[in-house]
Amino acid sequence: MATRIECIFFSEFHPTLGPKITYQVPEEYISRELFDTVQVYIITKPELQNKLITVTAMDKKLIGCPVCIEHKKYSRNALLFNLGFVCDAQTNTCALEPIVKKLSGYLTTLELESGFISKEESKHKLIPIMSTLLEDLNATGACTLPIDDANTIHLKLIQLRKDPPIVQEYDVPVFTHCKDLYIKSQWDLTTQQILPYIDGFRHIQKISAEADVELNLVRIAVQNLLYYGVVTLVSIFQYSNVYCTTPKVQSLIDDKSIQEECLGYVTKHGQKRASLRDVFQLYCGLSPGTTVRDLCSRYSQQLHRVDERRLIQFGLMKSLIRRLQKYPVKVIRDERSRPPRLYTGCHSYDEICCKTGISYKELDERLENDPNIVVCWK
Amino acid sequence: MYSHPQNNVYRSGDKTSPISVILVSSGSRGNKLLFRFPFQRAAECPSSLSGKKRNPYALNTTGEVLEDQDGDSRFSDIILATILATKSDMCGKKFELKIDNVRFVGHPTFLQHSPIIQANADPSVISCMHNLSRRIAIALQHEERRCQYLTREAKLMLAVQDEITTVSLILMSVGGCPQSPFRQILPKCKLARDLKEAYDSLCTTGVVRLHINNWLEVSFCLPHKIHRIGGNYIPPEALERSLKAISRPYHALLLLESEKALLSQLPLDCSPAMVRLIKTCSAVKNLQQLAQDADLALLQIFQIAAHLVYWGKAIIIYPLCENNVYMLSPHANISLYSPLAEQFSQQFSGHNLPSMLAKFSLPVSLAEFRSPLEALAQEAQLIQMVVWMLQHRLLIQLHTYVCLLIPPGEDEPGLKEEELPLAARVGGRSLSTPSALSFGSPTSSDDMTLTSPSMENSSAELVAGGDSPLNKRMTETLLTSLSEHERQVILSIPAAQSPEDLRMFARLLHYFRGHHHLEEIMYNENMRRSQLKTLFDKFRSVLVVTNHEDPVISIFQSPMD
Repeated sequence: MATRIECIFFSEFHPTLGPKITYQVPEEYISRELFDTVQVYIITKPELQNKLITVTAMDKKLIGCPVCIEHKKYSRNALLFNLGFVCDAQTNTCALEPIVKKLSGYLTTLELESGFISKEESKHKLIPIMSTLLEDLNATGACTLPIDDANTIHLKLIQLRKDPPIVQEYDVPVFTHCKDLYIKSQWDLTTQQILPYIDGFRHIQKISAEADVELNLVRIAVQNLLYYGVVTLVSIFQYSNVYCTTPKVQSLIDDKSIQEECLGYVTKHGQKRASLRDVFQLYCGLSPGTTVRDLCSRYSQQLHRVDERRLIQFGLMKSLIRRLQKYPVKVIRDERSRPPRLYTGCHSYDEICCKTGISYKELDERLENDPNIVVCWK
Repeated sequence: MYSHPQNNVYRSGDKTSPISVILVSSGSRGNKLLFRFPFQRAAECPSSLSGKKRNPYALNTTGEVLEDQDGDSRFSDIILATILATKSDMCGKKFELKIDNVRFVGHPTFLQHSPIIQANADPSVISCMHNLSRRIAIALQHEERRCQYLTREAKLMLAVQDEITTVSLILMSVGGCPQSPFRQILPKCKLARDLKEAYDSLCTTGVVRLHINNWLEVSFCLPHKIHRIGGNYIPPEALERSLKAISRPYHALLLLESEKALLSQLPLDCSPAMVRLIKTCSAVKNLQQLAQDADLALLQIFQIAAHLVYWGKAIIIYPLCENNVYMLSPHANISLYSPLAEQFSQQFSGHNLPSMLAKFSLPVSLAEFRSPLEALAQEAQLIQMVVWMLQHRLLIQLHTYVCLLIPPGEDEPGLKEEELPLAARVGGRSLSTPSALSFGSPTSSDDMTLTSPSMENSSAELVAGGDSPLNKRMTETLLTSLSEHERQVILSIPAAQSPEDLRMFARLLHYFRGHHHLEEIMYNENMRRSQLKTLFDKFRSVLVVTNHEDPVISIFQSPMD
């Protein structure tokens, strides 16, 4: 949801009139009534100064940071002011908070350096500044304004995103959009080094080995890419993998845009575009107990024009299918033996193989013949 | 005089728990903080400070705010009273104030009570807290009008505060530590204890039940706390969707606690319909049958079921029967050391959870567990175990969905991709509830007796048998939503030569969009599973079949998706 600023106001404590709004852009936005109700949160007691205060009243949200500068030269020995924003009460204003804080810092500095606010002539310059701020922040989310010869303000609205999940060494990063869209030089050096190795098939451990970057650095770099939505994570591809459909697979039928994207993505290079029916049949052919290998032999006709690896990749990225992982659990054990470390039901085959270096097949052989171990698929 | 109860909510890392509860009043005596819980940490006494060794490397960071510091201990009682005692024109509406990383939410009225929440808490948590605040406010308002309850409690609180302040002053003058007056208020004031209880409940179970003045009940639940799977709370949109999912009569209500436990939790004046429903509820009975057995209207059943779901006391499933296919839920905790494993072995001695769960690694129907050698008792135990696993969200049920997809023609390959698939073209006929349906034994859903074709929407109006012009025309009408090419392909299928098969296919056409599972079609159209399966097989060249969980109720198993 866009954070729209309805009004920017500059409020101060006038030596005779008390708290008032000196300037507001657009004019007359904050009514007398509204200001009366919230003024205790705008020009505040000392305990609340320098804190970001957001108050909701009369369907509006006011965000400000009250500043107090003490000095003998001011009447009443202190200058109290607050530059704040007004938004609609429903708006999520988290992104505006750092801006308000920064602005209060700028104004404080300006006042301390050159008496910007206490002098009438320079204070008046606030009006065009506030107008520009309002316009630019609403239009582009960013604003750069020179205040005077020496000072320039740089502000930007940063949208907070959800925390990304932890990236494991057996996860596979894949670009959500064409990788050429990203300007490589904008990323940090580590990310630049691993970018060429992200192909939707190499897992983190492999990327670390091939790009010669320490494992944890790769994990952090990929987690960063994940945060910005540049990549998403899928699981390691093997022909022995088992997948099954999710209810979202129906979106391939219902949603034209996903259809288009899918058919474009999974068609083999140089072939005529795959048909929806073939692709849908292939996805529906994935079920518990069926490996990708089985799928390939059963649906060889449908796979003429379809790249099965990209089919699986797309299906995972869009959650049309999900991977069924195997989890070994040691249910019977000798009282004297050590408790199981990896066979607890918390670690999948992918993870165990990655950590111990043994292959899937080897692990299978070991566990299949062990009567004390059951394997759960989920 | 009016008071403003305010609750502050914040706990580092836990965005759904309150930080504290505060009661503030504003009136002729000025603004006063009546009560707060937890008590503010007592200010450092000068004598205790000198006892500590000074760390030579410690910076004096008086201006800094530590991230994990208790949010409101920075606020003194006095400042809280000032900022939270709002003006009269803010009364009757939601009050929200955010200071740095602490958020105050309240409902100023002639009595105000508000929770404070961590600043970046979900807006739905904030509105829930506000809801609680308002409820308490309404109860207090009522009691105030009736017997000046709040005035009395406030007087008590202020009296204790004054007393303690005097004592503290004396103590401080002899080098002792100031005490918190709120600790003393607790044993004397019922309202203070209620507020403390509200705070404690919110932080732990998320269910608040208070009796204001031992008379009026205020009950409230924070869905974010009750509906948790793993470490995450179910987002309220998911909860809303789950409530909307209670609309199909062929679903069943599964209680998450035993009947006895549930009944004991109900208030004395609860509706008898609720009691009847809880007593007649069963995992094998669908909501339609439940309505009949409990002698309630279906709509009422939906409403009571929604209530139970909201309070985390029940979930919606498909009724248990031997043809149900279950599989391990992707979110199931299958760890050897999970508390669930412990509970399972206690309840079902001789069995361990991981082994049981391993049996559901591949989709398996309950019928497959049956063996002629097994005693009935064992079968009953199996059902109990399945019910237990469903209650603990370990299993999901898979259903069969069917989609019509005609292979593209050779002569017009390009065009086919541009045309919208059937799903988008066929306007769904409204599938309203049949008025009466009888079911066979719950353990085999195939054994359904066919009712007379009196159902509104059933396509049974097509006269059975015969190739009458009426039937033919109806079949044609039903197939008009298809393109010429599609119609031709269907008609060229060998099975289409049989008029009955074609008729059945045409009448069920609108289900073949991938959104209606087999059991739903069976319920609505009064057909046997075998009939449908045979039909699907006959027309398999134009149908694509897949199995997955029912998205309508999968919200109960995997709320994070």
